[in-house]
Amino acid sequence: MLTAGIDVGSISAKAAIIQDNRLLGVRVILTGYNAQNAGRQVFDQVLLELGLTASGIDRIVATGYGRNSIQFADKAITEITCHAAGGIFLNPAIRSIIDIGGQDSKAIVIDKNGKVQNFSMNDKCAAGTGRFLEVMARALEVDLDAFGELSLHADNTASISSLCTVFAESEVISLISKGAKRENIIAGIHASIASRIIAMGARIGITPPVMMTGGVAKNIGVVKALEKKLNTPIIVSEYAQVNGAIGAALIASTM
Amino acid sequence: MKHIDMFKKIASNPAEYAQGWKKQTHGRVVGHFCSYTPEELITAADALPFRILGSGTTISKAGEFLQAYSCSLVRGALEDALTGRLDFLDGTVFPHTCDSIQRLSDIWRMNTNYGFHADLIMPVKLDTESAEQYMLTVIHKFRKDLEAGLGTKITDAMLEKAVRTSNQVRNLLAALYEIRKASPGKIKSSDLHTIIKASMVMDRGLLADLLGEVVTALEEQRDDTASKPKRLVLSGGLCSMPDIYDIIESSGGAVVWDDFCTGARYFEGRIDETGDLEKNIARRYMSRIVCPAKHSGIFSRGGHLVEKVKENNADGVIFIFLKFCDPHAFDYPYMKEMLQKEGIPSILFEIEEQTSSGGQLRTRCEAFMEML
Amino acid sequence: MTAMEKIKDPEKEKRKIKSDKKMRAIMAAYYMEAKTPKEITGKKIAWITSGGPVEPLHVMDVIPIYPENYGAMIGASKMGVELCEKSEQMGYSSDLCSYARADIACATVNGGPIGGLPAPDMLICCNNICGTVLKWYEVQARYFNVPLFILDTPICHTEFNPDMKRYVTAQIKEYITLLEKICGKPFDYDRMKEVGRLSVQGQKLWQEILDTTMNRPAPMTCFDAFFHLAMIVTLRGTQIAVDYYESLLQEMKDRIAQGIGMLPEEKYRLVWDNIPVWYKLRWLSDKFAAHSACLVADTYTSGWCGTMKYLDENDFLGSLAEMYTRIFLNTGTDIMADNIIKMVEKYEVDGVVFHSNRSCKPYSLGQYDIQRLIKEKVGIPTLMIEADMTDERSFSESQVETRIDAFIEMLR
Repeated sequence: MLTAGIDVGSISAKAAIIQDNRLLGVRVILTGYNAQNAGRQVFDQVLLELGLTASGIDRIVATGYGRNSIQFADKAITEITCHAAGGIFLNPAIRSIIDIGGQDSKAIVIDKNGKVQNFSMNDKCAAGTGRFLEVMARALEVDLDAFGELSLHADNTASISSLCTVFAESEVISLISKGAKRENIIAGIHASIASRIIAMGARIGITPPVMMTGGVAKNIGVVKALEKKLNTPIIVSEYAQVNGAIGAALIASTM
Repeated sequence: MKHIDMFKKIASNPAEYAQGWKKQTHGRVVGHFCSYTPEELITAADALPFRILGSGTTISKAGEFLQAYSCSLVRGALEDALTGRLDFLDGTVFPHTCDSIQRLSDIWRMNTNYGFHADLIMPVKLDTESAEQYMLTVIHKFRKDLEAGLGTKITDAMLEKAVRTSNQVRNLLAALYEIRKASPGKIKSSDLHTIIKASMVMDRGLLADLLGEVVTALEEQRDDTASKPKRLVLSGGLCSMPDIYDIIESSGGAVVWDDFCTGARYFEGRIDETGDLEKNIARRYMSRIVCPAKHSGIFSRGGHLVEKVKENNADGVIFIFLKFCDPHAFDYPYMKEMLQKEGIPSILFEIEEQTSSGGQLRTRCEAFMEML
Repeated sequence: MTAMEKIKDPEKEKRKIKSDKKMRAIMAAYYMEAKTPKEITGKKIAWITSGGPVEPLHVMDVIPIYPENYGAMIGASKMGVELCEKSEQMGYSSDLCSYARADIACATVNGGPIGGLPAPDMLICCNNICGTVLKWYEVQARYFNVPLFILDTPICHTEFNPDMKRYVTAQIKEYITLLEKICGKPFDYDRMKEVGRLSVQGQKLWQEILDTTMNRPAPMTCFDAFFHLAMIVTLRGTQIAVDYYESLLQEMKDRIAQGIGMLPEEKYRLVWDNIPVWYKLRWLSDKFAAHSACLVADTYTSGWCGTMKYLDENDFLGSLAEMYTRIFLNTGTDIMADNIIKMVEKYEVDGVVFHSNRSCKPYSLGQYDIQRLIKEKVGIPTLMIEADMTDERSFSESQVETRIDAFIEMLR
């Protein structure tokens, strides 16, 4: 059986194809302003890459914020359930997932079968999301992709305590003017985002082993900051960004 | 559903209804903030009890008087008051509930001029003899304040009639809840919510008549045995969240009970129609399950919620309350723990009245349903 | 160079309040006794709200503990963020009062600067200060499984009527009955008279101390008052408080006689409104001092002597209902505004600094109206600082700094 999962987020759209519980391929593109088109495009592209046709796909599940606009999908399932399914597939040992995307973040607790036991979301506030990092990267005039690597060279973690992204930005600017080292400031930014995530996770009883998914998982600094606060190693799969789509495809295969 | 269009019209624009009612009856409208307001006294004074909920408009003027860390009910209501949306009020009543309402009363008194202003300083404790004694004096004082504020006399006969009508309305609202509990497909929760919302602002006599017809019509309808939705109890304090019901229902859920003051608590408890009416009114407000801003034992709300889940064969609980609502936020952890001990799944949605958080709420709702 | 560094600045030394040391010692002894095992002291422990009637506890030899006072200490020791985060992990919203959040978390980890408060045998909650304490104490009642007594003081928006008086008075009787039950001994009404007398004396002394800053230059600032407040709150009704305040008052009088002000130069005199920003006291004090601005009075510390006028000194127990019900926080916003305007006139003040405290709705909501009334009636500039009393995450240093600087420029 061939199934597809399409995850249309606010920034990127991802597609995954599963056959008999094996991941065949994935694809990521920018969503742009038309979620439906993005869903169609990423699906077509992954099919092309794998030499498959749409008619060959038995079932499609759509997820992400744009899930309800993917007309050609058979079902729409939330990204919480999909991330859980994807995560347990990539690593059957995990019991919690932390997903930090561009515009929101989630913490999910699952059982050994990947069924969601509890979840919490932060989607009202930029602090604790990829957006927070973007704002800070601008303030520091540093390439966001360099954040992770730079923070590993910090000799001290600057303290950034504000709950609010705008306030935190002014704290960063203040630190810059006081001559604090860039590396230390970035470490502080990562510690701050980790605090926010931990608070969200602790409320729902997050337990190891923990996997991190979503675009921000590529930032080694954030991963390390989370590991420090949770006092447990964090598993990051190479498929972190497409985990939602993988989960959607898996759910499609069990429908 | 019979009469649903009328209820929808009233619920979607209560101010318009009140204005129309005034024109038609030449009566007075008394606004209030809380389900602890003894509406019976207002009705007995031939006035219309009007629960103020905030119209959901964007906050601009209210921000000059209230900091952003106050709840959207308080900010929304003040916004309406300051922008003339409540010009039809002939008086406002502020029962003592939480710190925010307490200060709103002062700010309202100092900055608006809608007829009379009455503070109803009810006891916070509802489980002692001395509190009940004091509650009685508060009810009595309220009667006097209303008489003075409206320039009228509230006779025992009028009070008796008002009490009878309010009991009738409560019986009928309770009946609607029971019908929904037995057969969730029969009544859309958004419709039931619309009815309750309208019930808090419309002519109570007319309301009793209409509700009677609605209940009769529904009882004649066949029960819906086909659908098997996930049965949910809602817990919290919210005031006028419209979309949540549709979102729950379209995600495969059905609301079977709640503990909202704008829901089941509104009609819970009846007033003894014989004897000392003021005393009986006090009794009802003392013995209803409490709002978290009141005190009656330390486990009562949690115990009540667990009971309701079991009584209604519910599959889970959704906690809903406003951001910045302190009393509800303090109770949430222990209530959730009590549910967890009984193996009852639950989730929390913290909301704000002004934001139509449709997409986010839908995702959370669907994810919770997927969990059950 | 080392020798030079060791010599203390005589100017700074002159201005230091000598009584500070004694205050620290007394408060340390108080907490030490409280943390001594009950088998040794033989005394029960009550947790009580800052506006609660503590006098009957002293009559019964119960040690009163003030979680709010500990909340201030937690803030001052900069331990607020960690504890608040813990409470949020327990499920408590970050929008709730930071004293409550810190204390709820603290109880589970024995946190804070003295390693936690001693467990209570009873909880005494008076809601004259706010409705949050009701919920906070309910949480602790569930956690500690001890009796909870609530003194419900109806709010006096515009009046205090006989019905309210009757209700509160009846509850005082219930309070005494409960104390007798928990302590297993009858209430000593004669001792109550003595404790009442000491309470009044303490309050009068505290008022006199606060009045000394009417003098130009002020011998102390509100930052000093924040520090010395703890004793009238926690040890009200004891000889210790009376003795200490007598000596503090004397020191203030001496400073006035010698012309010693807290600030080398007193260009501007200001009033502070709301609970202090506990973790930023030194920073705020230095900031205002650098501008030669002296915070000569505040609405918070005067809260513990402001309602003596309602007391009948010959019948403390019978009349304390009104004294506790009519504290300024339990009255209407317009009455609170009048309170500040009176202070502006009494202390001859040039401006008012408002702390818009996220954690305290009864104190903060309505401040915008008070600000407006001050402008209308007295015409002096006012400053609004947005922060929180114990949760440092809600304080933005650069923002506050800018506002203070701009405010001072308005005073010139």
